[in-house]
Amino acid sequence: MTANLYQPINGEIVEVIDESPTIKSFVIAPEREFGFETGQFVELTLPGEGEAPFTPSSSPAVTEKMEITIMKAGRITAQLHACEKGQPVAIRGPYGNGYPIDEFVGKEVYIVGGGVGLAPIRSLFLTLVDRIGDFKSVVCRFGARTPEDFIYKHTLFGSWRELDGVEMKLTVDECNGDWDGNVGVVTTILDPKDVDIENAVAIVCGPPIMMKFATINLLEYGFDPTQIYLSMEKNMSCGVGKCGHCMLGKYYVCKDGPVFTYAQVQKYPKIWE
Amino acid sequence: MDTVFISRLKTFLDAVAETVPLYVPRRVDEHYVCVSYDSENGKVPEFNNIRVCTPVKEFLFPLRELAAVFPEPVAPEEVAPFAVFGLKACDLRSMEILDKVFMEEEFEDTLYLVRREKMLVISSDCSDPAESCFCNILGGQSHPEEGFDLNVSAVDDGFIVQSGSSKGRRFLSAHISMFGDVPDALLAERQKNRTATHDQLEKANGAFQLRASAQEVVERGYESEVFDEQAQTCVECQACTRVCPTCHCFYLYDTKQQDYFGKMKMWDSCMRTGYAAVAGGGNPREMLGDRLRHRMMHKFSYFLERYGVEMCVGCGRCVDGEAGEVDIRVLLRKLSDELTDKGRAVAKKAK
Repeated sequence: MTANLYQPINGEIVEVIDESPTIKSFVIAPEREFGFETGQFVELTLPGEGEAPFTPSSSPAVTEKMEITIMKAGRITAQLHACEKGQPVAIRGPYGNGYPIDEFVGKEVYIVGGGVGLAPIRSLFLTLVDRIGDFKSVVCRFGARTPEDFIYKHTLFGSWRELDGVEMKLTVDECNGDWDGNVGVVTTILDPKDVDIENAVAIVCGPPIMMKFATINLLEYGFDPTQIYLSMEKNMSCGVGKCGHCMLGKYYVCKDGPVFTYAQVQKYPKIWE
Repeated sequence: MDTVFISRLKTFLDAVAETVPLYVPRRVDEHYVCVSYDSENGKVPEFNNIRVCTPVKEFLFPLRELAAVFPEPVAPEEVAPFAVFGLKACDLRSMEILDKVFMEEEFEDTLYLVRREKMLVISSDCSDPAESCFCNILGGQSHPEEGFDLNVSAVDDGFIVQSGSSKGRRFLSAHISMFGDVPDALLAERQKNRTATHDQLEKANGAFQLRASAQEVVERGYESEVFDEQAQTCVECQACTRVCPTCHCFYLYDTKQQDYFGKMKMWDSCMRTGYAAVAGGGNPREMLGDRLRHRMMHKFSYFLERYGVEMCVGCGRCVDGEAGEVDIRVLLRKLSDELTDKGRAVAKKAK
C-alpha cells in the first residue's frame, strides 16, 4: 500500500527573517530530510489553521532545512507572519516539475523577477550559481515597488552582484530617497541586447501583471514562446492533480507545473488572473 | 457458472447481506436513495428501474472524511467489506472514471483505494430511464457489460444474475443451491428488454443528438456565447457537481482537535465563485460563464485528453438536481448546432 497522499511531515520554524514590510522568510526544519528540485513547491501547514502552496527560496542542495519566503496576502499568510521561532508547522510535497535546469546548459539564462516572485528565483539562482560554468551567463533583471520592498537585500545589493558569470540590474517602481538604480517597472530595464536571444532562455516570476508585460516584451524582442519559462500562481491545494482548484486549461498547475513555457499555456484565456 | 436464475430478489439479497453489510435502493417520492438493507427490517426489496438519485461516489469518496492526522500519524480506520445493489451502467462507468483519478499510478489515493477494493458491486439493468437520462448520446447503454461483480436483470417471474468478476463467481459458487439454470427463453427476454430500453433512450434523446463528438463540440465551441447564455439560467446552487457521479473536485481544510490536528477532505464545486481564486486576489474564472465553460471543457476535452475517457456518463442527475435551468444536453446541442451553422457559413463562403 502506498503512503497517504495527504499526510504532512512535521517541522518547526527555526528562524524568522524580516525581508520587507510585507514579506518574511521562514527557515523551517522538517523532522526528516526533505529534498526538492528548484522550482517545485510545497504545501505548508499551520496546524489547525490551514495550508498554502509556496516554492522554497533556498537551495535544493540543503535538505535538512528549507527557507520559504512569504508575503502577507491572505488568511494563512497573515497567521504565518504572526508566528515566531519554535512554531510547529507541517509540510507536504515536494510537488510539480521545477525548472528544467539541464535544458539551460550552454545558454544565457535571463531571469526577470519582481516582488515576492524573487523567492523561487532565489532558489533557482543559487542552483545556477552552484554550477555557473555550465551556463553562458546568468542575467538578472529584478524589480520591487520601493527599495525597502526588495527581499534578500543583503545578498541582492551585495554578494550576488559580485559573482562571476552573473550580471544584474535592479529597479524600483518608485523611490523617495536613497536609491541610485533605475526607477520604473521591471520592463523598463529589459533590453533586447541584454542576451543573445537565439541562445537564451527567459525565466519570469513575479506578480501576474508583471509576468504578463514582461512576457509581452520578451516576445517582441524575439523570444520564442518555448523559450519563456513562467512560474504560474494558481490555487494549488492537493498537489497531486486531483482536487481541481489549480486547473489552467487542461493542466493541473500542481502536477504539470508550476513551471510552464509560455507555449504550453498561451492558448488559454486569463492565464494572468 | 456465470449466469443463473433466481425467482425472488429477497433470497438473493438476504444471502449477500449475510456475508457483508449491504446497501439497497429505496424509493422516496419520485427518486431512489440508498439505504442499509438491515434498516429495511425484512421489507420486500425493490428493484430500481433507474439509477438511484445519489451518486455512487458517496461510497468511495465520501462528502467529508478525515484525510490525515498529525503530528502523530494515525492509521486510517479499517474499511470493512460492503456491497451495493442497484448500480446502473452509468454508475459503473462513473467508477471507472473516478478510478482513473484516484488510482493513478504514483498518485494513488489510499482513502479511495481501500473502499474501492472492499466494495462488492451489484449492478442491474436499467429498464425505465428518466426523461433526463442521456447515456446513449455519450456512447453509453442501459445495461452493464463490465465493471460489476454481479449484475441483476429483471425478467418475468424472476431475475437473471450474472457474474462479472472472480468475486462475483465466488459468490455464485458458494450459493449455488439457491439458483437455477437460465433457459434460453429468459436470455432472449433479457435481450428484448435491453433493446426496448435502448430504443426508449434513442427516442427520448432524438433532440439531443450531436453532429460531432462531444469533444469536438466543446473544443470548437470554446469561444461560443452559449456558455454565458446558459449561465444566465444558473443560480449557482452547485447541485450539478454534487450529484454528478464523476465530478471529484475536493477541498482540503485543517482542523484542531483536543489531541491532534486533522486534514479534512471535502467535496468542492468548480461552479463556486471563489473556487480558483488565489490569495493575491486573482480569479481566473470569476465569471459564471467561464466556470461553466471550464466545467464542460474538463468533462469533454481535458479529462479525455489526459485519461482517454470523457468525464460524463450521461446519467442526467445534474439535469434533475439543479435549481436553475442549465441543461447539459441543451448546452451541448446548442454548441453542436453552432458548429453546423459555422460549417455551413464557411462552406457558403468557400463557394
